[in-house]
Amino acid sequence: MRKTTTSSIVGSGRWAKRQASCFLVFTLCFAACSSRHVPVNLEFVATWDGQPLQCSESGVRLTDLRFFISSVTLLDSDGNERALELLADGRWQQAGVALVDLENGAADCVNGSLAMNSRVSGITGTDEFSGLRFVVGVPFDLNHANPLTALPPLDDAAMHWHWRSGYKFLRAGVATDGDGFWLHLGSTGCAGTVQNISGCSRPNRVLVELADFSPTTDQIEVDLSALFRDVDLDDGVRSDCSSGPAEVSCAEPFSALGLEFDEKTTVARPPSQSVFRVWR
Amino acid sequence: MAVKRALIIAAVLAGLALAYTLYRPGPDEYVWHLPEGYPRPVVPADNPMYASRVALGRWLFYDRRLSGNGTMSCSTCHLQSLAFTDGRPTSIGSTGAVHPRNSMSLVNAAYASRLTWANPLLARLEDQALTPLLGDQPVEMGMGGREVEIGALLASDENYRMLTKAAFPDDENPYSLLNALRAIAAFVRSIVSYDSPYDHYLAGDANALSPSAEKGMELFFSERLECFHCHGGFNFTDSTSHANSTVEQVGFHNNGLYNLAASGAYPAGNTGLFDMTGVARDMGRFRAPSLRNVSLTAPYMHDGSIATLDEVLLHYARGGRLIAEGPHAGDGRLSPFKSEFVTGFELSDEERSNLMDFLAALTDESVLTNERWADPFAQ
Repeated sequence: MRKTTTSSIVGSGRWAKRQASCFLVFTLCFAACSSRHVPVNLEFVATWDGQPLQCSESGVRLTDLRFFISSVTLLDSDGNERALELLADGRWQQAGVALVDLENGAADCVNGSLAMNSRVSGITGTDEFSGLRFVVGVPFDLNHANPLTALPPLDDAAMHWHWRSGYKFLRAGVATDGDGFWLHLGSTGCAGTVQNISGCSRPNRVLVELADFSPTTDQIEVDLSALFRDVDLDDGVRSDCSSGPAEVSCAEPFSALGLEFDEKTTVARPPSQSVFRVWR
Repeated sequence: MAVKRALIIAAVLAGLALAYTLYRPGPDEYVWHLPEGYPRPVVPADNPMYASRVALGRWLFYDRRLSGNGTMSCSTCHLQSLAFTDGRPTSIGSTGAVHPRNSMSLVNAAYASRLTWANPLLARLEDQALTPLLGDQPVEMGMGGREVEIGALLASDENYRMLTKAAFPDDENPYSLLNALRAIAAFVRSIVSYDSPYDHYLAGDANALSPSAEKGMELFFSERLECFHCHGGFNFTDSTSHANSTVEQVGFHNNGLYNLAASGAYPAGNTGLFDMTGVARDMGRFRAPSLRNVSLTAPYMHDGSIATLDEVLLHYARGGRLIAEGPHAGDGRLSPFKSEFVTGFELSDEERSNLMDFLAALTDESVLTNERWADPFAQ
């Protein structure tokens, strides 16, 4: 296959010329703006009390952990925002949104999926980093479009909330013996009709700001012990929160995510979220 | 002269033949069979009604391969013999999970301006069908995470391949979940009721209603009983739209079933519109279901908590339900969120039986037996 391709290019004078000019442009650009197209990988790791957490059969078990991130921005050494342009890969990410999947469907992750994805890849304009910002959630327009015609990763039906319109931005859960908690985070209190939503009183998008973060040395910790810190995991009742506008069980995990419940809306306060942290 | 006359006749015949070819209904045009004056349902522009689509949807509706463990189809909770309900207080999913709500009749779902018991967002059957298929809160049919299998079934099963090609002739790859949902929606949309004794009465057959049912009708439409405020119109619900509607009607009502701790609260997880909006005044507000075939759809209410139609009448006569003890104790009559039309009324035993006779006259036997909506696997 490779041989055929090479000989066909070599065999055509026009191709050879185009190849040469492309090379020239690329070299010039590379020399002139070497810091403008820096590939960046963000790595996520699930933890419980500082230890990596996975779908398992003993102790505190992961039952689910999948989430969308969008509006990813790196801060350069001067503190300027440098957008991370996500690369569409036909599975885990498209231009505006990426799906992180830290469960593999094993053990107690009964509603999960086999495939995992701990990495988000993109291109940014700096190679000196001082921080990271991103949103846990799907941008409004993408969130309320038809999931059956959406491009990956928004074609994942397990992440969609058919009766509420929009996606589950975050599915997270743990189980202990006879107890546990799961959280489905997404926009609620929406107005309009499915595929014609005009707005949501509780957008419930989480804003994450991590100072002193560099993708070359650091990973991003998703600390479920912080997410469920104030949830009672010893009362023998498996409870849950599915982001209903009046679900009292949502108060503690929402607070850990920096989502402040107001009577009419939910306000995202990035500094107060304690779940996403720098992991070095 | 004769030749000229023959030519004229030939030309006229040819013209007629051409006109017939142009205007006859195509083999795939869906025929609603609606009586004159009965409005057509709204049909979404991206899912027009074709006979072939309804035919495909009918097979899918009755196919157990549309559940994760092969134990249930749409028809498991929507039986034709029960006007497409399941006779249970609340439904049970394929894995045994108990649904919090009662299975709604699918008859005339095509005319519902909103679908399910209390979802202000769901207006199209195509969108609604995703939840029972893929939902996991609770698991109903249990196809979540396995949705690609539905498209694969359309492509691999010989019967489905043929039906799908016919139903979506312009699609390059018609074997998709999207098209399966369109077909199921088209089938459900086709289930319309217009053949009850009450319909015959309206059409001019004065004998279609018994004298008792006629008295019941007067009571039903009286300001004393107020039934028709929420259960009005040809479909006996105020959340109705049709192809000629100018205003979209959407109504959700609290009918005084619960009043937990005298706060007006409903049991958690079953608070109606409030679950969706979080707005206090939406507590316990549910969509008034159509009353067509209501004699067959027991038990009643969103949670199936009233066993018989007679008890439903007593509930409304009292103006709300009194639950004396237990976790749901409270007097629904005193709920601060109750509809202004549920005020209670005096009702004699005879009047109650008149009302029962009228409601029974809303039963359309043809819906229960019509082959067009029957299980194709059984034939």
